[in-house]
Amino acid sequence: MTVIMDIAVVALRMLLPVYTIIIVYQCYASMRRRRRPERPLVLLQDLDTGVKTPVLFWENSIGRSRGSDIAVDDPAVSRNHCVLLRRKEGWFISDVGSKTGTFVNDKRIIRRTQVRIDDVISMGNKDFVFKRGEEFHEELHSSWFFSKVVNKPSIKPFKLLLLISFFHIFMGVEAVFADSGTDYTPVMICGALVAVEWIFFFVSSVILKRISFEIESLCLFMTGIGVMLLVRQTNGIRMAVIQLVAAVAGMIIFCVIIKFIENPDMVTKWKMIIMIGAVVFLAINLVFGKVTNGSANWISLGPITVQPSEFVKIAYIFVGAASLDHLQTRKNLIEFIVFSLICVGALALMGDFGTALIFFGAFLLIAFMRSGDFKTIIFAIAAAGFAGIMVLNLKPYVLKRFEVWGHAWENASDKGYQMTRTMTYIASGGLFGVGIGNGYLKNIAASESDLVFGLMSEEMGFIVAVTLAVAIAALVIYARSVTTRSRSTFYSISACCAAGLLVIQMTLNIFGATDILPLTGVTFPFISSGGSSMISCWGLLAFIKAADERTYAVKVKS
Amino acid sequence: MKRMLQRSWLIFIVVIAFLAGLAFLVFRTVFNASDWADQTYNRHISGAGGFARAGAILDRDGEILAQTVGDERIYHQDSSVRKALLHVVGDDSFNISTSVQSQYRSQLTGYSFIWGLNLPKSLQSSRDIALTVDADTCKAAYNVLKNYDSGACVIYNYKTGEILCSVSTRSYDPQAPPKITEENEDEYEGVYLDNVLSSTYTPGSIFKIVTTVAALENIPDIESRTWYCKGREDIGGGDVTCVSSHGSVNLKQAFGHSCNIVFAELAVELGQEKMTEAAKKLGINSSFDISGISTKKGNYNVKKANKNQLAWSGVGQYNDKVNPMQMAIICGAIAEGGTPTIPYIVAGASGDILPDLSLLGNGSKGKNMISGETAQKLEEYMRGAVVNDYGDSMFGGLTICAKTGTGETVTGQGQDKNDGWMVGYCIDEDCPLAFASVVHGSSQYGYGTAGQVAKAAMIQAAKSLKAR
Repeated sequence: MTVIMDIAVVALRMLLPVYTIIIVYQCYASMRRRRRPERPLVLLQDLDTGVKTPVLFWENSIGRSRGSDIAVDDPAVSRNHCVLLRRKEGWFISDVGSKTGTFVNDKRIIRRTQVRIDDVISMGNKDFVFKRGEEFHEELHSSWFFSKVVNKPSIKPFKLLLLISFFHIFMGVEAVFADSGTDYTPVMICGALVAVEWIFFFVSSVILKRISFEIESLCLFMTGIGVMLLVRQTNGIRMAVIQLVAAVAGMIIFCVIIKFIENPDMVTKWKMIIMIGAVVFLAINLVFGKVTNGSANWISLGPITVQPSEFVKIAYIFVGAASLDHLQTRKNLIEFIVFSLICVGALALMGDFGTALIFFGAFLLIAFMRSGDFKTIIFAIAAAGFAGIMVLNLKPYVLKRFEVWGHAWENASDKGYQMTRTMTYIASGGLFGVGIGNGYLKNIAASESDLVFGLMSEEMGFIVAVTLAVAIAALVIYARSVTTRSRSTFYSISACCAAGLLVIQMTLNIFGATDILPLTGVTFPFISSGGSSMISCWGLLAFIKAADERTYAVKVKS
Repeated sequence: MKRMLQRSWLIFIVVIAFLAGLAFLVFRTVFNASDWADQTYNRHISGAGGFARAGAILDRDGEILAQTVGDERIYHQDSSVRKALLHVVGDDSFNISTSVQSQYRSQLTGYSFIWGLNLPKSLQSSRDIALTVDADTCKAAYNVLKNYDSGACVIYNYKTGEILCSVSTRSYDPQAPPKITEENEDEYEGVYLDNVLSSTYTPGSIFKIVTTVAALENIPDIESRTWYCKGREDIGGGDVTCVSSHGSVNLKQAFGHSCNIVFAELAVELGQEKMTEAAKKLGINSSFDISGISTKKGNYNVKKANKNQLAWSGVGQYNDKVNPMQMAIICGAIAEGGTPTIPYIVAGASGDILPDLSLLGNGSKGKNMISGETAQKLEEYMRGAVVNDYGDSMFGGLTICAKTGTGETVTGQGQDKNDGWMVGYCIDEDCPLAFASVVHGSSQYGYGTAGQVAKAAMIQAAKSLKAR
């Protein structure tokens, strides 16, 4: 009898990784669906030659430079001449400091000017008629992500969410049996979690009328795993409740940010206020910071503690991104570099080197996407390296925090304690895990946050842990794939960089816990326990969601 | 927008770097997982010193050498067997790193990378490890060895490779391991070392086997030569001495009487190059893999030796060192006509879905050491030594070929400390066993010390072998 039971348990455990892979696959498969085919939005017809140039993007750079979205071969046209962009109200053209000027119906434009069908746009010696996209009949080459797109979703969103909810319920049941089998609180937590998932789905699809729910599904899946991993920790029920409440707050912020950045031009006006707010927030942290585990990155607000740096991440992406005509008129990065220096410097002062590194990584990504200037990147890395050496020379004790790196096994009883335990329990879990609550890594400090990759591996198996890590990394591929379909460069920059930031953070988390990189104590996106981190992850996700042009499209009854 | 897409490759690089790191982590995990899991603090296997889930270790007859009962690791019921097999089986600690409990810990605990430590008990097959050793033989060897400071005795079947006896002293009872403190550390010096595998000793006259090989294979008329031994001879500006004057001897007689002068002169005549080549062919300077454990390399290095030192090196002095297992293998090679069967100690480990790869090598042949002709000659000489010099009755009816040796380590008035040796093999069809025994720190000759160990162990081994 016990043999049959045990075979069943083992079979279920082997099913779990397959189940995980199916869910992650379905989330991503749906992201390619329901997209408009590659058709020009409008087109520009050369008055002299009659050649039709398709306009493919929401924001198009026009100029003599070959990298321009619409290249105009005319010596009188500047390299970056003007930007043709689409907004809710229609199409606009904006001169970005050309030498000879841009004209609409022979009138030189000064600021952003609306263009209508059959208007004549002139630059240099060229005149173009602005025409509807339907007048273009040639085939267009499109990237793999948009070619052969099926309009039917690969799985209906509610079915996908059903799959995810079942997964979480399974984890809850497993947690009940890990104990005596009489304590049903994990199931109650699980019930609350599933309720949150469906309410969010209802709000998204019925109230906000959004077509897609894949990215949210993926992150709900991971959030739920994070919550359910907590239930069998010491004091875990309380942590799970906090985690769930934070997730709800995160989802609200997710919706608020998407609404807030709906108009990329409005956003620019808020930039300065957000920047100042972020600096003040960090300053408060520096003054009133609570020292935990060697870094003072916490502040207490009554009963709750928050980690300001997590929220500043959102502000940082926000400040870094900009629409195309802004990028081309104000090329210097000075403002952004100063803001970055303040952020990274404040974090280093707090002793939070992990987050400082994440900010620096995000800085490189944003700076490169904005300027395309390789020299800036090299210079920034060199300056950072120099600053790092200076810090190590002036404050040699900083180095001590990293000296165990790569030598965890020699220091297994003191400084390498957490890493060696993580590796031991990763190995003990095997490919399929020992089951929720049956692990022992949960008794090690920070197992639910810094070492959560180990906790997942031990209890759910190495395959599940690796799959979820790959799922987060794939967010970048998604963000990058929708780049040219974003409604503004503001979204494409912010989406790519938000996804990149999440990957950098995950890299530090996983490899820090396994002694491949120094342990810096950063969280695994969506799964690690921590309210501020959870909210910030959902906030960053909003940028990725906003980059998809389907987000702001309203559901149409077919 | 096109530019944005182009510039986003930097973010792509971040992902590629991450995936590369993840691949590295997977690689590291796959290859190190069993080491990572085998930690005393690992609470999945803790209790009984980390052997809470471990299987039993059995000898060749299925006698239980170690098993886990409840929360405790229980070793063999006979304390002499426990002490005799301490270095083979191991104890609760990992101090004896070459022991089966250290080397095969993951097999014992049922660890596998696929299942981790997670497979429910009912689905696990037994994870017992069967060894080739014979508890009675090891006990017999131990009971003689324990009378001396320290030493080792190994016996293996030169046809199949099974190790029947592997005993190392000093030893202690794994059921009641001593607390080693500053006061008693002298008493337990080297106790964690398996002398069979991990120690080397001065060979003394048993090294004449090597010199004989060099002479037989390099000097054509060597067997027709005679020497005259006066008991003392000046070679290269220093004396080489024999126990007594052996008079006129040929090579076979010199080997039997263990005449130092003859072999010293031969070493000088052959020169360092040919001597080194013979030592190399016999594997003196190399290591053998015994069920995954490497033996300690011996030492024959005469690069910087003067003539006198070269002479002494030919009789197993100077800086010569050999390992007991290595000597047993050389004897096995002579018995097998020049190519040894490499010994092994782990006969089988059950419980894994895939068979343990290390077991596939069991019973494999090593590199050829000497020609069949040389092997035959050596057999004749070693047999002659037993018949004419040690006495054939010594081994209770077994037909033994052997060589004794006494490596001088400390010499002085009444304070001699020798490494006494006896190495050899039995040529009886039903008892194909090669042996090497060494006793360290006794003032007597090898015949009197190691010879007695070898005798007791070989007689018991033959009995056990025939009883099966």
